[in-house]
Amino acid sequence: MFALQLTTAGVATGSVYALIAIGIVLIYKCSGVVNFAQGAYVMLGAYLTYGLVHVGLPAYAALGCAMVLMAGLGVATERFVLRPMLKAPAVAIMMVTLGVLILVKAVCLSVWGPDQIAFPRLFPDGAVEVAGIFITYNYLAAFVLAICLSVAFLAFYQLTPLGLMQRATADNTRAALAIGIHTSNQTSLAWSMSAALAGIGGALLASLNGLSLGLADIGLVAFPVIVLGGLTSLSGALAAGLLLGVLQAFADGLLTPVVEDFLRAHTKIYSAGALQQVVPYALLVIVLLVRPEGIFGERGTERL
Amino acid sequence: MPLQESALQEAVPRESAFQEAALRVRGLSIRFGGVLAVDQMSLDVGAREIVGLIGPNGAGKTTFINCISGAYRPQSGEATWNGRPLLGRAPHQIIRDGVVRTFQNVASIHDLSVLDVVKLGAAMRPDATAWQRLSTMLSPERGRDAELIEGVLRPLRLADVANKPMQSLSYGLRKAVDLARALAAHPRILLLDEPVAGLTAQEGAVMSEVIRDVRDRHGCAVVMVEHKMDVVNATCERIVVMASGARIFEGSPAEVQSDAGVRRVYLGEP
Repeated sequence: MFALQLTTAGVATGSVYALIAIGIVLIYKCSGVVNFAQGAYVMLGAYLTYGLVHVGLPAYAALGCAMVLMAGLGVATERFVLRPMLKAPAVAIMMVTLGVLILVKAVCLSVWGPDQIAFPRLFPDGAVEVAGIFITYNYLAAFVLAICLSVAFLAFYQLTPLGLMQRATADNTRAALAIGIHTSNQTSLAWSMSAALAGIGGALLASLNGLSLGLADIGLVAFPVIVLGGLTSLSGALAAGLLLGVLQAFADGLLTPVVEDFLRAHTKIYSAGALQQVVPYALLVIVLLVRPEGIFGERGTERL
Repeated sequence: MPLQESALQEAVPRESAFQEAALRVRGLSIRFGGVLAVDQMSLDVGAREIVGLIGPNGAGKTTFINCISGAYRPQSGEATWNGRPLLGRAPHQIIRDGVVRTFQNVASIHDLSVLDVVKLGAAMRPDATAWQRLSTMLSPERGRDAELIEGVLRPLRLADVANKPMQSLSYGLRKAVDLARALAAHPRILLLDEPVAGLTAQEGAVMSEVIRDVRDRHGCAVVMVEHKMDVVNATCERIVVMASGARIFEGSPAEVQSDAGVRRVYLGEP
């Protein structure tokens, strides 16, 4: 029963990880950039929602406005930061996305301060009981919203002509340009969708765990997710996000007490801290060693 | 100097057999550094005409196509399609006017299926308003699959590979898919860059039939850059010969074959 409880909590956070990871994969596919600024989008999405509620908007309107603002910020990042660096080496581009992360974090720090903030309630308090497990509305709503957005996005990507243009641009930008696709607009669109998804993800995570600058670190948890899922597979990111969320919940609920008991019995260390934060990176190392292309990725996606 | 004579003669294009020229190009020149790739090129194409563009390697044929389809920006000259200017506009804008091209080296989109590539073409159809375009862009159109398979892929003998990824196809098939993509965009003029190059003689003959059939069914004009003379002669109603970036001759297939200047430039005869 306890395991089921952990699973539901893990699936909820995992679905939000998936949402964020989908954004990273989308940007990687479309512009070949590993975007370290994704964590900044996550954090800023949450802070903007908070800020908009603070100035008097209803919670859902604030969430929607924050999503639109994040989409605009995604476009701005692509137009003004990435596009001038189109011909720069990959490492320089990665560094510049890292710069965006630091910049956004500093701005949030100066505007909202370093302390944890109580996030406005997006969903009503209370819980539903399903087969003896209690699921709070918070977790349930975060899960439903994240999964709906992920599936809606995947449907858009796979089924609509615009999604097809996105895929063609991601596949071969030069070829897509040649057959009449406005590829730079497609790249901007990918960045805007990615930032908006990350922003929503941030607001959902904040509604579960509270709002602080630490939310930006979720951007880093998303990297094990995409490595696990294969850097180019959107549905892989979705599956890997869920898996990682569950693993983290189990590490927190089952592994941490065991390790802490062991440490207390044999050493003077009293607490094992946040063991669940070790899991993603341990997994990252293992996957990179055993199956570098990820579980769902294709072998040899780099073509010569 | 018979060559120069004929070059002077043909500097202004001959009056098209058709009432009005739909594609009208005048004095188009493009220079890459010190190389004048296309030199004062002019061309008229009627609304339902098939024109062949031939010439030795490096004559500037593909460069010319690149200029009018928006890939290159020529330094001088003008080009209009039904009165609308083509030069200085981007490929994605030009294609919406019905000016659609294919490629000598097929655009290598790897992971999409044949049907996806054709759908991409169909997504480029000219639409009335921006709003209309947006709504087509966002509506999943499974229902149109059958229409594209039967209407576009079947006639090109591609219906059986509709769901295969592009990278699994042979070169010849990929070329056919490129043509299918262009046709799905509802072209009013097709610019074909070496549609037969790399195909077997048999495939070439089929392609020739297909091109004439496409013109008859879609009622579009065709400009075809090609080296294989038997295909050009069988397909085109009029042939324009280019050498060193400029037009040197224009005439019917029979006239081109018998012209001494063309033979010298093209076949390297003394």
